Amino acid sequence: MASHGLTYEGCNFFRQRLVLSTLSGKRVKIRNIRSKDDNPGLRDFEASFIRLLDKITNGTRIEINQTGTVLFYQPGLLYGGSVEHECNTQRSVGYYLEALIMLAPFMKNSLRAVLKGVTNDQKDPSVDLLKATAVPLMKKFGIDGEGLEIKVVKRGMAPGGGGEVHFTCPVRRTIRPIQISDPGKIKRIRGTAYSVRVSPQMANRIVDSARSILNKFIPDIYIYTDHMKGASSGKSPGFGLTLVAETLNGTFLAAEMVSPPLGEQPMLPEDLGKTCAKLLLEEIYRGGCVDSTNQSLALLYMTLGQQDVSKILLGPLSPYTIEFLRHIRDFHQIMFKIETQAPGEEESKGGEKVLMTCVGAGYTNISKTIK
Amino acid sequence: MDVKDKKEQKKHQHKHSGPKAQKKKNKKQGGQDTEEDARKRNPKAFAVQSAVRMARTFHRAQDLKTKKHHIPLVDRTPLEPPPIVVVVVGPPKVGKSTLIRCLVKNYTRQKLGEITGPVTIVSGKKRRLTFIECPNDINAMIDVAKVADLVLMLIDASFGFEMETFEFLNICQVHGFPRIMGVLTHLDSIKSAEVLRKAKKRLKHRFWTEVYQGAKLFYLSGMVYGEYQTREVKNLGRFISVIKFRPLVWQTSHPYVLADRLEDLTNPEDVRQDPKCDRTVCLYGYLRGTFLKNKGQVHIPGVGDFGVDDVSFLPDPCPLPEALKKRALNEKERMIYAPMAGVGGVVYDKDAVYIDLPGGHARQQQEEVRPTTELVQSLIGTHATLDAKMAASKVSLFTDTEALSQEEVEASGAKQGPTESSVWDPETQRQRRKAVFSDKEDDDDEDDDDEEDDDEEEEDDEEEDEEEEEDDDEEDAEDEEEKNEEKTAPTVVKKKEEEEAIIKPSDQSAPPPPVKRQKVEVEEVVKKRKGAGKEEVIAEMPVFADSEDELEKSEGEEEEEEEEMADEEQGERPVKGKAPADSGHCSEEEGDDDDDDDEDDDEEDDEEDSEDEEEGVEDEEEEEDDDDDDDDDDDDSEMEEGAEKKAKGSKVTVQKQEEEEPMEDVEMSFDTEGALRWKQDLAQKAAEAFVRRQQAAPNLRKLVYGTVAEEEEDDGEEEEEVGGLFKVNRPQKGKKLRADAMDCSRFEPDAGHDWDEEEMLASIKDCFVTGKWEEDKDAATRLKEDDELYGDFEDLETGEVHRGRDQAEGGSDGDGGEDDEDEEEEEKPLVRMDDDEAAKNKRLEKKRRLKERFDSMYDDGGDATYFDDVKEEMKKQAELNKAEFESMEDEARVQYEGFRPGMYVRLEIPSLPCEFVTNFDARYPIILGGLGASEGNVGYVQMRLKKHRWHSRILKTRDPLILSLGWRRFQTIPLYYIEDHNGRQRLLKYTPEHMHCGATIWGPITPQGTGFLAVQSVTGSKAGFRIAATGVVLDLDKSVTIVKKLKLIGYPYKIFKNTSFIQGMFTTVLEVAKFEGASIRTVSGIKGQIKKALRTPAGAFRATFEDRLLMSDIVFLRSWYPVSVPQLYNPVTSLLLPAGQKDSWSGMRTLGQLKHDRGIRNKPNKDSLYKPVERQPRQFNRLQIPRELQKSLPFKSKLKQQQAKGKTPRDLLRPVVIREPHEQQVAQLLHALNTVYHHKQKANRTEQRAKHKDFLKQKETQEQEKQKRLKEVRKNLYRTIGQKEKKKLKSSLKGAAKDD
Repeated sequence: MASHGLTYEGCNFFRQRLVLSTLSGKRVKIRNIRSKDDNPGLRDFEASFIRLLDKITNGTRIEINQTGTVLFYQPGLLYGGSVEHECNTQRSVGYYLEALIMLAPFMKNSLRAVLKGVTNDQKDPSVDLLKATAVPLMKKFGIDGEGLEIKVVKRGMAPGGGGEVHFTCPVRRTIRPIQISDPGKIKRIRGTAYSVRVSPQMANRIVDSARSILNKFIPDIYIYTDHMKGASSGKSPGFGLTLVAETLNGTFLAAEMVSPPLGEQPMLPEDLGKTCAKLLLEEIYRGGCVDSTNQSLALLYMTLGQQDVSKILLGPLSPYTIEFLRHIRDFHQIMFKIETQAPGEEESKGGEKVLMTCVGAGYTNISKTIK
Repeated sequence: MDVKDKKEQKKHQHKHSGPKAQKKKNKKQGGQDTEEDARKRNPKAFAVQSAVRMARTFHRAQDLKTKKHHIPLVDRTPLEPPPIVVVVVGPPKVGKSTLIRCLVKNYTRQKLGEITGPVTIVSGKKRRLTFIECPNDINAMIDVAKVADLVLMLIDASFGFEMETFEFLNICQVHGFPRIMGVLTHLDSIKSAEVLRKAKKRLKHRFWTEVYQGAKLFYLSGMVYGEYQTREVKNLGRFISVIKFRPLVWQTSHPYVLADRLEDLTNPEDVRQDPKCDRTVCLYGYLRGTFLKNKGQVHIPGVGDFGVDDVSFLPDPCPLPEALKKRALNEKERMIYAPMAGVGGVVYDKDAVYIDLPGGHARQQQEEVRPTTELVQSLIGTHATLDAKMAASKVSLFTDTEALSQEEVEASGAKQGPTESSVWDPETQRQRRKAVFSDKEDDDDEDDDDEEDDDEEEEDDEEEDEEEEEDDDEEDAEDEEEKNEEKTAPTVVKKKEEEEAIIKPSDQSAPPPPVKRQKVEVEEVVKKRKGAGKEEVIAEMPVFADSEDELEKSEGEEEEEEEEMADEEQGERPVKGKAPADSGHCSEEEGDDDDDDDEDDDEEDDEEDSEDEEEGVEDEEEEEDDDDDDDDDDDDSEMEEGAEKKAKGSKVTVQKQEEEEPMEDVEMSFDTEGALRWKQDLAQKAAEAFVRRQQAAPNLRKLVYGTVAEEEEDDGEEEEEVGGLFKVNRPQKGKKLRADAMDCSRFEPDAGHDWDEEEMLASIKDCFVTGKWEEDKDAATRLKEDDELYGDFEDLETGEVHRGRDQAEGGSDGDGGEDDEDEEEEEKPLVRMDDDEAAKNKRLEKKRRLKERFDSMYDDGGDATYFDDVKEEMKKQAELNKAEFESMEDEARVQYEGFRPGMYVRLEIPSLPCEFVTNFDARYPIILGGLGASEGNVGYVQMRLKKHRWHSRILKTRDPLILSLGWRRFQTIPLYYIEDHNGRQRLLKYTPEHMHCGATIWGPITPQGTGFLAVQSVTGSKAGFRIAATGVVLDLDKSVTIVKKLKLIGYPYKIFKNTSFIQGMFTTVLEVAKFEGASIRTVSGIKGQIKKALRTPAGAFRATFEDRLLMSDIVFLRSWYPVSVPQLYNPVTSLLLPAGQKDSWSGMRTLGQLKHDRGIRNKPNKDSLYKPVERQPRQFNRLQIPRELQKSLPFKSKLKQQQAKGKTPRDLLRPVVIREPHEQQVAQLLHALNTVYHHKQKANRTEQRAKHKDFLKQKETQEQEKQKRLKEVRKNLYRTIGQKEKKKLKSSLKGAAKDD
């Protein structure tokens, strides 16, 4: 009776598979998870992710074999509500939050999640980045209102963690189709330089060095310094910078850089500021209406829209996005029309862009109750 | 004279007096007497009397206005919509088939015999219709109601409405209300005109109450020669062709196909071995509703849920006329298509040939018939049995070689048959059906037949011979390919073409078309799938050029050319590589792609995206080494192959050449090296433009989706070769890494970009507001444009006139342009003819901007409401939807959009139960309803339900019920509940009578807001209204929250003041512990609380109450116990039942039915039985009022009790009187006298009464007589008076006469 399952191998793109499975109702079997590894099976952070999915859904069936190399996942219905989750410190909260953002609009009750763990690390997009880019992106799809918010209550750096993030999101029955093909010009750059358990001066040093590079392009730059103390400063020291470029059309491009965790080769705050600014330039060079970390989110919402044409201009597709597109085809049978837009001769607006077009799957939120 | 007089007509007399004349006069004199005038005359009367009232009227007006609005929906109707489904329903013997026959005849001038299955016709220039007749079975009625666009509801007027009609109307109501037209038949059997009129009126009004006021009802009076009257049918047809439809929610959100054709593709051998094996079936029909995605899930009502193996679209068998010039359709364009009813000319495609051997309808169909009739005749003409032929038959693989016999073929070990896996080829723009070899022998000739192409319809007889040759050639090529593969790969795989040829019943010289065109290339790709080490072998259909017709026409010449070309132009041929079909799940190839794609993206100008090449950039030297090695390998294999070829004695030369082709870019091209030479070149030519156009895009697309057509490689061949070999050499590492790599969405920056360099920095400088702007957005240009628009003004103070600069050019948009300007305008274009275009564009642009400004100024201020805005937005979206993929080829479009409604599609469904085929009855509609995301899953569904008011019995919780929900019909066990004020869902034993209640079932997940209906049984026709309940889905969940009340009862065994010890409620201390603090109550209403468990009698506890209990009190605890919903989901498989018994499906029985069937009688509870009431006379004690109380009472309230009478004292006792004898005698006498007197009195009285009665009677008679007399007298009197008057009148008349 239940719809056909899909089978995958390896632990890569683990989140994509489980998220899409939950949304499409198709069950998933993932085999050979690190089967050749010295330490085979699922890692703690993946187990933690599964547990989080279990918390926000109702009726989910998860089977894992003894070594943890095979996972069977039969999705339930997205329930939402108040959820508190202790995220594993191997990965940052961003790892979990990215998936939650994808699922949150399709729940029965609006989600109020409290995620505890590492807020910023070098692997995953940090909470600040998602706050700056994912939230405005969601608003474009009609997911807005008072409920939508990501709040960093406590900041926790890499090895120790101890941060706390509140994420709330309202529920939608349908998602609006979008047509965004003009990113517009960048009008301002904002950013947050944060430091915990180190000298507050670090943040200022970061700001200065970052400005030194960006000032060549635009004068409207403001970088907040956020030094957290005491209980809200987590368990490990560290500092970092998140930069966001906002365009006239409401596109947000962001880049970030975090100091290496305690015990590794340390990094000067000046270097960090400069590297981060260069990363932002790289991001601007890539361009598009969505920054590279949120490409898959935008594509997912386009897929789950009404049966209308959605268009979006992206920068070069990241490997993660490419795999995501394949997974979308597997789960929703939706293919995107991909058109490359070579940059014009005269204008210097960065690299090649990609125009993605699709017809939505006509997805409706089947969890939401009608009264 | 007389004639003249007659002609002269009386003239109209104008009125000169009266109100009308007065009015006219007023009008003439004082102008209009309109309302406006009245307003002026009497402003007070029109003044605002009450602000409140005015507000109310305004509100009301607004309410009425908004009430008219429908929720705006995006218009998603395709350009060429599917035929409209016209369902003809009605009870049996009401004339359904006759009506369809008449309508079909009306539209197409063709007579149909029996109506089985849907009949599609072209009814007009823009409209097609599909007629279905609905059998008198509630299953069919439910199914049909879900797909109907228009319902023709036949009603026997001579009988009146029947229950089926109402049932169907209710079914329709639940599943979205399609258009309904009533048709009254059998009107001729009502003889009297008056009765007929009344019957019509009565039926009409009843029909209106059911559908809507003013619903169309048609009257078909009697039949002529077994058909309805032509004019009436024509009228009905006209109404059908102009009717408009509103989209229904379920239909517009789900794809569905009403199958009008069915082919069984199962291997006959499998069927022979096991007649009950699962079948693979192809179903055909127009796609309706919305886009259908390939590989989706469908539900076939009456059968079950199935995954679709393959979807493909076919040319429209019943197309609309192409040109819309003529006024009416001509004979040719009046198409009809009804394979199940045995009409529709010839269709042949992948699966089968559908042949009609008609007497002759239209010319065109005749032509189509010809080739296949011959085929059939040749089949009929064969005399030898199949086995004998098979043994005798020989196959020649190559034109020059001798034919192989069966033994030889078998010896060659070709055991595998191809299975089909469809692959999209964007280059040729069509679905290609790739043959995949597996170890098992599971397919046979039928499957091979599949592989024949759609395009074959265009085939003609004359071509046959040429084709044969061509095919031989193709086969040659194929076989060479095969051999090639055999050598290169360790797993020997061979296509079983020979076998197929053997099974062909006809002899070699005239093989049937499906086989002739068999062009399957076998290519073998050893692809390790992620460490599993599985080897996949893929055979492929060759690419067809887009314009096949042309090819076939000039085949004779072409072939010769091909030969030459094949020999000559090896070098310039487009590179044909092969790529494994993408498994979709992170294959090796993709792995490579992904690894390098960040590099790709940056090197935009590099069209070719060869990953290996890019790796080469990183490490060139290494690559070159690899290069050499690979080349060597290649040579080696070539040598070997060559040797083997010679041994086999086949055409080596061609093969050799192919081997020598250095470019085999495995990565890039998807098509095979085996594609035929003659075609390659043509395909190249045809595709060149396309390829050039999409050079970059398919690369990226390929990168993502893994499939892309072959494309021209302009770059050096060596590199490609390297690319091709690279892939083979480094299989495992990358893939392994990828599969278990870190899952992170971060996109690492390109190492190639050094942001310290000025050049890099300059490359993004226009991304900022500080950079250079586009022409149309630049501030300077905009300012200039504004100048152009608003530049001309007159300075009033100085009187100076400023002009916009190119007023002359662009001034045409103002309608009141001055004369001299106009002249200028006329002159200018003459002068500058060349840049006329530019000027025009500029002008247009300016005009548009002006218009925009005007719109924004005047429209928004006015009526533009939110509703209008939304509507506008929807319109824009609809336009975009239409425009986006319009220019694409259908084949490519299908990839992005899915199959769009209006297409004629073929769905291949594997593993259908064999009963579906064996018990197939074309009269029952077969619907394939597409299921949305997660609609294939099962879960708890909460619904709002109401028992139908016409259903005679209420429904019981846990009695199985058959629901029609979404596409499905299924039996399930509902639990009914009602929601209390605190949100608690309390179980109900029965549905309430006239109220909604909740119901929870275990059933298919269906979106909220979907309507459903319930019936208790679908078997036969039962008395009464069958629809038991209707409702709507509210919520989907994976858990249930229904509770039922549970009362735990205990008894006090020890009572203190307010505390009591209670026992009997629980059995253990643990149980009590769970309920500590719970509130309890006695029957008499004393509330209390559980405090703590007691040790000694297990389960006893201490409780406190608000008052002292009695030992006789009963204590209870009210609690709620969750109920579980039984997980029964039993689809109604009515279509699987044998023909004629399809309406006899029976599922799980209710408890009542079970008991009835088994003769079990319910033993009633003894306590519930009625017994004779025995009432003891009750003894009441006297009321005792305490003495103290009594004392204090006021006298009034004091008890007035008699003192108990003691013994009367002697002195108070009266003495007894004893009479003397004398006294006694006196008393006796007196008594006697008294008695006599009384008697006399009584006798007198009776006598008196009798007398009086007589007197009264007498008086009455007298009175009557008197009355009689009086009457007589009066009569006489009147008579005389009358006579007198008459006389008078006569005399007066006489007098008058005399006067004359």
